[in-house]
Amino acid sequence: MNKKWLIGLCLLTYLIRPRAQDTLIIGFGDTYGTIVSASSSNGQQSPENTMDASGFLPNESAASRFLSQAALGYDFADIQEVMVKGRSLWIDEQMAKPVPFRLQDRVAFYHDFARTNLGDPNTGTRSGWWDNAWWHYHMSSDDLLRQKVALALSELLVISEISGFGTNPYPLANYYDIFLENAFTNYRTILQKVTYNPAMGLYLTYLNNPKSDPAQNRFPDENYSREVMQLFTIGTVKLNMDGSVITDNQGVPVPTYDNQDIFELSKVFTGLTWWDRTQFYRGALNNNSYLQDMVMWETYHEPGPKNLLNGYVIPDRNPINGNADISDALDHLFNHPNTPPFISYYLIQRLVTSNPSPGFVEDISNVFVNNGSGVRGDMKAIIKAILTHPEASSCQAGEEAFFGALREPFNRYMQLNRALKVSTTSGVFRNEMNNVYNFTGQRPLSSPSVFNFFQRDYSPIGPATDNDKVAPEFQITNAQSIAGYLSGLWEWIVDNNPADENDLYTNEDNNNYINEVSRLDFLEDLPFTDNDKVHILVDKYNMLLAQGNLGAETVDIIIDAVKALPNGTDTEKERKARFIAYLVMASPEYVINK
Amino acid sequence: MGHHHHTKKKLSRRQFLGEASCAAIGSTAFLSSILNLGAINAMAARPHIISNSNDYKAMVCILLAGGADSYNFLVPTQASEYNDYVATRSTLALAQGPTLLPLNYNNAGRTFAVHSGMDGIRDMFNAGEAAFISNIGTLIEPISSYAEFQAGMKKMPLGLYSHSDQIQQWQTVLPQSRSSIGYAGRIADVLHDMNTIDQVSLNISLAGKNAFQSGNQYNEYSISRSATSSNIGYEGFPSYFSNAGLLNDTRDLAIQNMAEQQYMNIFQQTIAGLNKQTQESVEQFRVALGNVIPINNVFSTTNLSADMKMIAELISVRQFLGANRQIFYVVYGGWDHHDDVINNQNAMVPILDNALTEFNTALKQIGMFDKVVTFTISDFARTLTSNGNGSDHAWGGNMMMMGGPVNGGQIYGNYPSLRLDSSNTLNLSSRGRILPQVSVDELYAELALWFGVSPNDLAYVIPNICNFYDPSSCPTNPGGSYTPLGIIS
Repeated sequence: MNKKWLIGLCLLTYLIRPRAQDTLIIGFGDTYGTIVSASSSNGQQSPENTMDASGFLPNESAASRFLSQAALGYDFADIQEVMVKGRSLWIDEQMAKPVPFRLQDRVAFYHDFARTNLGDPNTGTRSGWWDNAWWHYHMSSDDLLRQKVALALSELLVISEISGFGTNPYPLANYYDIFLENAFTNYRTILQKVTYNPAMGLYLTYLNNPKSDPAQNRFPDENYSREVMQLFTIGTVKLNMDGSVITDNQGVPVPTYDNQDIFELSKVFTGLTWWDRTQFYRGALNNNSYLQDMVMWETYHEPGPKNLLNGYVIPDRNPINGNADISDALDHLFNHPNTPPFISYYLIQRLVTSNPSPGFVEDISNVFVNNGSGVRGDMKAIIKAILTHPEASSCQAGEEAFFGALREPFNRYMQLNRALKVSTTSGVFRNEMNNVYNFTGQRPLSSPSVFNFFQRDYSPIGPATDNDKVAPEFQITNAQSIAGYLSGLWEWIVDNNPADENDLYTNEDNNNYINEVSRLDFLEDLPFTDNDKVHILVDKYNMLLAQGNLGAETVDIIIDAVKALPNGTDTEKERKARFIAYLVMASPEYVINK
Repeated sequence: MGHHHHTKKKLSRRQFLGEASCAAIGSTAFLSSILNLGAINAMAARPHIISNSNDYKAMVCILLAGGADSYNFLVPTQASEYNDYVATRSTLALAQGPTLLPLNYNNAGRTFAVHSGMDGIRDMFNAGEAAFISNIGTLIEPISSYAEFQAGMKKMPLGLYSHSDQIQQWQTVLPQSRSSIGYAGRIADVLHDMNTIDQVSLNISLAGKNAFQSGNQYNEYSISRSATSSNIGYEGFPSYFSNAGLLNDTRDLAIQNMAEQQYMNIFQQTIAGLNKQTQESVEQFRVALGNVIPINNVFSTTNLSADMKMIAELISVRQFLGANRQIFYVVYGGWDHHDDVINNQNAMVPILDNALTEFNTALKQIGMFDKVVTFTISDFARTLTSNGNGSDHAWGGNMMMMGGPVNGGQIYGNYPSLRLDSSNTLNLSSRGRILPQVSVDELYAELALWFGVSPNDLAYVIPNICNFYDPSSCPTNPGGSYTPLGIIS
């Protein structure tokens, strides 16, 4: 397609569109007209040049749309930054940002804090420290793209609080740090770190997995060997590079592996145990046990060759080199032809759209295979290719009947906190996220199983199944979660209670956290709550939260609804503004990101 | 797409907006009417059975998610069979004595016991109120032996031994495809009109959205175990607010109006439809829950017992939901015991046993014992052999049923040999994986016919059903001599 022409159309549409989105934006300075005046570094300021290969954006809604794909949440300053820098430079700068701190260290900080205040060196851990650490990181750091990619990885390479170790914040934080630290490294590196992490070893039960003992009818645990193939690398059916399924001459999908392949691979993941090993079959000695990679204990590693799928044989080596078996097996899966489309498709779904075109998937799979410098699995290249792909940013794709994705409920929560500029007086945040979990069923590392909150091929009944389209996030969308989301919106936005702050240790002094209570600020909206001005606020939140997707009818519905609200005192005005943001986020046009 | 360039000047404003705008241009209806045709056609495809029955029947399906090791639920105790059990299961074998509770059952010398945590189930079995089905699993067509399995001439379920696939196949009875449409959902498609309030789903889930209860036309209604008439729905202006009622009505109307718009994006259409359905159903359930007389002093405080309590209470107010037919869905997860299966089951089996027993008591208390069939399903059984102290994914296993309509005190199907040697023609692997000999289809067919599904609709509800009967005896054949398992009396 002619990209420049298309961009021109977008701009034209912006200029002539009806009042579904008024062009007056308030509260951020008057930015009307910046659509064509983003300061291009090449000095050319025609509309078309603002959207050429360097990725400049035409307007706030387009920047907001890009950020809705590239970030869990963002505010107007982020939108302005993208408008000035363009997509490409913004992505590059984001990828260069350092990890500000490790979640594991934040958990240790809480632990020390509790020990000190209680005067008890033996103070135990609290599960909420993990959530507080996650929340503080995400509300206080500006590495928006890393945060987005890390959460996506945590929903691919799943462990969960709902597990035997899930009340201990150390393994959860240590595991999540893999994704924060490696969001922009290499998928093979991530696979390595996940495989050796004791939390994964516990979750998929291959920590302390001994070799076979045929006399006892005892065989290696098959849990990890199955899921590392089914979910983390190649999937169950053979794929083309464009993500389409390879079928046999009966039209039946061709399986990638059978149970014999799982059985053979299960021999590879034997002998791994705690780094501070003292005896096999032992549990964690203390919290430090969780904080380092598992190690190979050769006595318990399956000897002999392993006949993996597609005829690949791991040689008969001394079990003392068991780690080489694992390395070979992971290399083999990483280099399998399914892995690029399987992982690329997943990442596109998480970042951009549920049903990418075959061309989109193939383009990203090709980048997965080779980043341009001969490197396979380069996360930087993969992520950038997804976010800058024409299908992610073209106006045409956004209007397509089948384009877009249901925003994950937890992502909506992140979005409102960022966009509505959640703050605390100290700049330190705490949130155990029980509230959002109870309302929506989601929070980080809280999937009910290794299959995540939803599966990539889920299709809700109705027009999606009728048209053979998938919409994974609908798998957790039901009467309960719909009502829960609306209740959550009310509590977070209207009642101004966006986080749940709890004691870090038993009977914590209230003065400790009074400065860490989160609030959403609507003061700048107060001048615009008169009925003849409320459309300005609807437009503001339409752009900021919904990328301008709310149509004229929805805008009118919201304006009509809020007219009935009292508007005398500042409290009433503020509530009216909050109610507008509530209704924007309750609309179907917001909930679908496209 | 390049052709747009050449026709640019010919585009009317309307086309222009529809095809190329970046931000929304209003939710106009011009494309949605075309897109909606697919949904409308699907709605028209299934004629409803119009029935105004006054009788009431309910099914309760409990998914033991993760793949329960059900060869330690039901254990053979006849001497040679028990010896096979011990030899094969090794470290996973339960000792005879207090860890196994014998059943009053003897079929030509074959005797069985249940897990020590199943004293309630034992009592119900012995009282004729509960039954087992042995070696049941997901199949497309019968496979009689390892040799037939190996020959590769029989159709095989997709993703055998995979959690996601096998759970889905228990729900859809369609192991040849990955479908979101399930058995109970298709029953709703044909029986929805037996209920008198159109907005209220025949299917009620205590476990969120699921394929089991998704039909081509109807969704489940999902409810929390802790729902009450005052907390169901969503938060709004508090009652101390002077005009809270008006403001909340205004808010509800806005949400309703947004849900009733026509959208051209199919995902917007879908979420709008779900929002509307939720809003309407919530009001019906609010009324029903307001009429519940709590069933006290029967149920434990576990989540599973709380789920079963909610179901019993909803059954007790079925008239407020216009319900003559209801299917309830519950999940009790955590059965994927790759590790420590003995201790984990010792903790979990009593929770299941209590919940089932309590539900049975509650149904008797509200006079509905004869109207409700409860059954368990699970992804698959687990390997007979150990991986240390756990077991891995396998296939055919042992499931439970209970309720007044059940012909209890029986073990349906044929409990398989647990030997690993070649004498056991149903064993597929050195790990001990048993080829199922009863298909989920057969169980579901019997339940569906009891429930009121017409034999003519059975192939819609259970698409593979006639693979399990010779054509003349297939239940869908009007003249057939259908031979049910006999589970329903």
